[in-house]
Amino acid sequence: MNEILLDTVFAALADPTRRAILARLAAGPASVTELGQPFDMSQPAISKHLKVLENAGLIARGRDAQRRPCQLVASPLRAVDGWIADFRAHWEETYAALDDVLEDLKKEAAAKKKRTKTQRRKGRTP
Amino acid sequence: MSSLVVSTEIPTEIHLTRTFDAPRNLVMKAMTTPALIKKWLGGVRADVISVDMDVRPGGRYRYEFAVKGGGPRFAFVGTIREIGPDRVVQTESMEGMPGESINTTTYEEKDGRTIMKVVMVFPSKEMRDQVVATGMSDGAGESYDELAKLLKSL
Repeated sequence: MNEILLDTVFAALADPTRRAILARLAAGPASVTELGQPFDMSQPAISKHLKVLENAGLIARGRDAQRRPCQLVASPLRAVDGWIADFRAHWEETYAALDDVLEDLKKEAAAKKKRTKTQRRKGRTP
Repeated sequence: MSSLVVSTEIPTEIHLTRTFDAPRNLVMKAMTTPALIKKWLGGVRADVISVDMDVRPGGRYRYEFAVKGGGPRFAFVGTIREIGPDRVVQTESMEGMPGESINTTTYEEKDGRTIMKVVMVFPSKEMRDQVVATGMSDGAGESYDELAKLLKSL
């Protein structure tokens, strides 16, 4: 996925109305009228949002001339999620490396404790 | 092993939470001793070239990395503002880049394990978003959590 496409997708996702439209479409296809119902917005305003989503490749419009139902296209969303997951993945990996260092430190601390105990016991023996 | 929780709910902050299977003194030691930091801070994608760290309030630090396979070098620099038995406050910025975050790390020990929480506070949402993913367009940050919810429903 190239940067330009990611930018378009992120810009499309930056608006709460458009995210709500996508969430609605996740439940199944819907017409423009159906999509506009939950919002206090004119149909042209909703159509404008749909155009942005369509340009970002996030939705597809049906061929039925009258209804032109909208349908969610999941693939760009999955790509964006993968990209955000990168930040998480980086720290997951880094902290996993820290886990290994901590295991070594725990072993060292346990060995030190054992040595101290042995020395003390030796000290008591005449 | 315990998984990492990343939250970007507050527009100018990043919160990281991770539990380590070790007592607090060892976790803090691994995170504030240069020789130990070298062993893990690069993760699998970068090598740690050098760690300079003056561990005291007002002390400066600098971590230099190189992307694995002879890739580009970059460094993080900052000042330690506060260091206590269960808390470190430090500034952090990428060398050569404007703006810095203030990172507060707290360590809570429970049954021999340590819950580490990092709160990174940025001067703006734009800067926060840049850190999460360089090149990301403005205003995208707030959509992560929504997006995560949405993706689960697909």
